[in-house]
Amino acid sequence: MAEPVIEATGLGIKFAMNRKRRRSLREMLIHGTKRDPNASGAEFWPLRDVSFSIQQGECVGIVGKNGTGKSTLLKLIAGVLIPDEGTVEVRGKVAPLLELRAGFNGQLTGRENIYLVGSLHGMSQQTIDERFDEIVEFANLREGYIDMPVRHYSSGMKVRLGFALISQLEHPIMLVDEVLAVGDRAFKRKCYRAISRMLEDDRTMVLVSHSENDLRRFCTRGLYMKDGRLVLDADIDTALAAYQADAQAEQEAQQAKRAAKEAKGSPAATDAGGAEESTDTGAPTEAGAGTAEAAADPAADPAAPEGGTGPAGGDRTTGRGDDRAA
Amino acid sequence: MPSRALAVWQNRQVVSLLVRRDLKVKYQKSILGYAWSMLEPLAMAGVYFFVFGLIFNSNRGVPGGDDAPGGYLLFLISGLLPWLWFSQSLSQAPNALITHAKLITTMKVPREIFPIEVVAAKFVDYLFTWPVLLLFVFALGGRTSAEGLLLWLPLAIAVQLVFSLGMTLLLASVNVLVRDIERVVRILNRVLFYASAIIIPSSLVLESDFPDWFVTLYQLNPLLGIFKMHHAVWYPADAPNALILSTSIGGALVLLVAGYLTFRRLETSVLKEL
Repeated sequence: MAEPVIEATGLGIKFAMNRKRRRSLREMLIHGTKRDPNASGAEFWPLRDVSFSIQQGECVGIVGKNGTGKSTLLKLIAGVLIPDEGTVEVRGKVAPLLELRAGFNGQLTGRENIYLVGSLHGMSQQTIDERFDEIVEFANLREGYIDMPVRHYSSGMKVRLGFALISQLEHPIMLVDEVLAVGDRAFKRKCYRAISRMLEDDRTMVLVSHSENDLRRFCTRGLYMKDGRLVLDADIDTALAAYQADAQAEQEAQQAKRAAKEAKGSPAATDAGGAEESTDTGAPTEAGAGTAEAAADPAADPAAPEGGTGPAGGDRTTGRGDDRAA
Repeated sequence: MPSRALAVWQNRQVVSLLVRRDLKVKYQKSILGYAWSMLEPLAMAGVYFFVFGLIFNSNRGVPGGDDAPGGYLLFLISGLLPWLWFSQSLSQAPNALITHAKLITTMKVPREIFPIEVVAAKFVDYLFTWPVLLLFVFALGGRTSAEGLLLWLPLAIAVQLVFSLGMTLLLASVNVLVRDIERVVRILNRVLFYASAIIIPSSLVLESDFPDWFVTLYQLNPLLGIFKMHHAVWYPADAPNALILSTSIGGALVLLVAGYLTFRRLETSVLKEL
């Protein structure tokens, strides 16, 4: 078997719990990051003990609830975070689509930004010259906008320009974090085509997304993350099923808890304040959105491949449900 | 470390792009643009000449005597221009990483290039002020020597570059974790200005009645040597002695090593905090 392109072993990273930790400058310089005086309980591991390896040409989807370390994992692979534990080895250049707008300087024009960010990603001046028109066309900017400062762009335009630029990179590894959720439908279709084309070139891709359609469309393998740990490494359908089963169970547990609370609360709470009332009214809608999501997704899936109205609608429900849960 | 240096070298084009971007952004929104690079030192020189040259009309200690070619005014200008280079690097240094937080957290580039960029951009700014300096040299009849041009000038610039780079690496990384640095820097800027013989020739301290320990302390400031060298280009009498020269070169090298080690050591936590 060929050497894996991405290989993580025992990967872990920790953050300080309270950012206002009191450490003197002297201690920091002497002990570096190794020893934290108020370490016990003051840190948490958004990611720990994660090991996997990805072969060339694979497309791997990472699924899991918000805040389970998916994005952190991508950042570690991209090399913009350094692990505190374990290693991640990446063989080949990485094209990170972590946050598309980032890197663009609002004061500079679109043109200047393309040159700046492009060369930061390792494109030569000549390559950018050659592909410039293609990038602008892909981004579908209105006439004249390319020579306007980026701060006048709408957020959609910034994202389009960002994706257009990144998709021109020829790096063998792509990391994509939730960026497909933005952009209108026409642009999304364009992105899908671009990504399919890249995958056909035998490039490797790691995708973080809450959209099951996106995941099923591209990925062959799924990593299911839960509480900062990798709990399942299987094909994408199995991973999604596990995620869904867990989400369902959690929702049911929450509902049961709420029901129990209501049952216990209502006889005593004849005189309860408005605050409690508002949480009560909030609860059913939230649960409603959740069930709608669960119901909508399986229905939308068969219609997925063509990327028409169906999946887009499905995406939106999923996204909204997640936001609210967070 | 060699591999890091190589990675930085491979990204030299990025550094030059960032520098050009900085200059562009800086000049784009102002009407006078490039003229500011010259107006600022001119205004400062005017103020100091008024105070120290005209009001306190005492022994100003110009190296080589008050009648030396160029006089006190050229002494001021030739010190102020490199000082502005230094002081602007110093005030920018703590923000070298913070202002690029977005770039740093989304793409993998050697993080060192951002401090390097600050140093380079300020150096380019300094080069832009040379026309002002030359103007004064010709108008005031300043004279240089082979030693001044071939030894003191390149050495002064090289030592200042090394010093600024070490300083920027150190301050940029520490400031991400401890924001107090920004405040410290403002005070330092003021103190170092008077401690480095920019407008007050060093002979006024070195050949004075100050206690010995104070004079020694004064000479241990690495910046003193750097600015004495800048002055020595036009005033051969201001050439630094062996002690000042060695603290200057040694101090710059020590700061570079310390700055780099700190930068590497703090990198992990800096990335988390950005």
